[in-house]
Amino acid sequence: MNLIEALEILKQAVPEDEHPLRVFLACGFTPLHLQTFLAAHLRRLLPQELVEVKTGLFGDLAGSIERLQTSECDVLAVVIEWQDLDPRLGIRSLGGWRTTDLPDVVKSTDQAVCRLEQALRRAASSISICVCMPTLPLPPLFTTPTRQAGDYELQLRQLVASFAASISNESSVCVLNSQRLDELSPPHSRFDVQSELMAGFPYKLTHASAVAELLAALIQNPTPKKGLITDLDDTLWSGILGEIGTDGVSWDLDKHTHMHGLYQQFLVSLASTGVLIAVASKNDPALVEKAFERGDMILSKENVYPLEVHWSRKSESTQRILKTWNIGPEAAVFIDDSPMEVAEVKAAFPEMECIVFPNNDYQAIWDLLKRMRDLFGKSIVSTEDSIRLESIRGAGSLREALEVSGDSLDDFLQSADASIRFTFGKQAADSRAFELINKTNQFNLNGKRLSDAAWKTYLNDPAAFLMTASYEDKFGPLGKIEVLLGRIQGKVLRIDSWVMSCRAFSRRIEHQSLKQLFQKFDAEEICFDYQATPRNGPLQEFFAELLGAPPVTDLRFSRTTFSGRSPSLFHRVEEVVNG
Amino acid sequence: MDEMQARLIRCFSSVFPHLTAEQIPTASVESVPAWDSLAAVTLVAVLQEEFGLQINLIDLPELVSFAAVRNYVRKHKNAL
Repeated sequence: MNLIEALEILKQAVPEDEHPLRVFLACGFTPLHLQTFLAAHLRRLLPQELVEVKTGLFGDLAGSIERLQTSECDVLAVVIEWQDLDPRLGIRSLGGWRTTDLPDVVKSTDQAVCRLEQALRRAASSISICVCMPTLPLPPLFTTPTRQAGDYELQLRQLVASFAASISNESSVCVLNSQRLDELSPPHSRFDVQSELMAGFPYKLTHASAVAELLAALIQNPTPKKGLITDLDDTLWSGILGEIGTDGVSWDLDKHTHMHGLYQQFLVSLASTGVLIAVASKNDPALVEKAFERGDMILSKENVYPLEVHWSRKSESTQRILKTWNIGPEAAVFIDDSPMEVAEVKAAFPEMECIVFPNNDYQAIWDLLKRMRDLFGKSIVSTEDSIRLESIRGAGSLREALEVSGDSLDDFLQSADASIRFTFGKQAADSRAFELINKTNQFNLNGKRLSDAAWKTYLNDPAAFLMTASYEDKFGPLGKIEVLLGRIQGKVLRIDSWVMSCRAFSRRIEHQSLKQLFQKFDAEEICFDYQATPRNGPLQEFFAELLGAPPVTDLRFSRTTFSGRSPSLFHRVEEVVNG
Repeated sequence: MDEMQARLIRCFSSVFPHLTAEQIPTASVESVPAWDSLAAVTLVAVLQEEFGLQINLIDLPELVSFAAVRNYVRKHKNAL
């Protein structure tokens, strides 16, 4: 994006929004074009939102962050340059570059980093923060020739690297990836010396746009994809299984097919972060079974569920896979080496990301792996991520067991050996609870999403409570699958958010949750901020079944009504109070 | 209108979005309240981008009107 484009974007009419996304850009230099580019990139990424980008006092980065009223913004974008850590590391100060000054430069940088870290940690307790570490070259103040890294220079870089690693441990903090920035903006063409000295703005326009683009993407934080459907022949491995047999297909250096091994290794990595992996292949199932038994396969059968291996259309396989996973096509990626198969699936699921596997093109496969990391990448891998595939398999087993046994649901649930752990506490750092509220559609009280700031503000209300539920039965653990946000008003509970993962349906967890609420708070009535949405049918059905009539807005019922209508519950219940 | 005039109007329009295409050719530091130092630096950046020029910020005091900018750009484009 160039500056004219950015200014043109900002001229366009903005949507009306009483709750704009308020971004505070903190940098030590005059923000000038960086502010323009950041606002424009955000407008492009979030066209439906009104975005405001404000700035603080120039020349005092740490002070700007320390003085920031976190209630006045939703996101803090921090751009640090070397001169913010010690003015002698910039060119506007003539504070001295003598050899004897260097130990003091390192010492004062250390102090500045500590001060910044404290300020950021304080702000991180209430808002989301995106941080860009120094991007400009260090000036030639060291004694070594520029081809040689000197002792003091290495110490400075180590201080900044340690600071970045330390601050990135905060769940609300994202650090901009310098390797990605290097790709977008080559380090040698970033610094505009004239502009720095005459206007106080040190970036070339291309660099300002690149920094802003990545910051905007960090702020946008798109929802990662959940599942990947892959082909086998000439994709997961090289060769056509039906023609050359299980010993003929390959993914190794000797046969020059190593990129398929890298692809397998990448899928294992994705699986370990909770991404669902399935196979859609036109193949002989017995041969595929045998191929997966090969000892040198990197992606094991345990990583994959389900396997759709037959000669039917891939769009049919995809349909069944999505149903098994219970996710929408917009949350999945389809990969196949055949452009025709990709086109067929894309025609059936236009919302799905469908990618042709670039067989035999080393560089293109490498680029594909990076693209997939962008599609599936997440900041935190939760316990629930690591057990997701198992719990989907468990849900499949539960459905099958119900169908096969012919028992009543009561009989079945009684024998399920189920336990629920209810946790009460107002842990704003509970990223799984926050994630569930913002991604659950089907069992969702009203479809309302919460920004990070709104989430923290809600939990700061003394009357507010947060209840989460974790579930386990003989088919395996489901992890944390339910979140309920409400407020206590005497003997009345007002529920503002209530979501439950679709993996937890048909276990009467929702009934047990309401029972728990009535007991825990000795409540006489519960009021729900209920709203029908195009996708919350399962929640509507739950209320309709419980109350004998379709739910309405301003929904409420008493403890007596609930007790009289709730079905039998067989869970073992444990309550935990945090904070 | 020649091509350079049209491109200059586009540059001015992006920096001073409230000016109409008719107002731009007579625009100056005196007549446009939004033409402050930040706008001047932004205008220079936009001109550099649009015309591939290297404008020395020392020349900023010269660039006080649309006509002055047009003359400056014409002179430096010819020198390229």
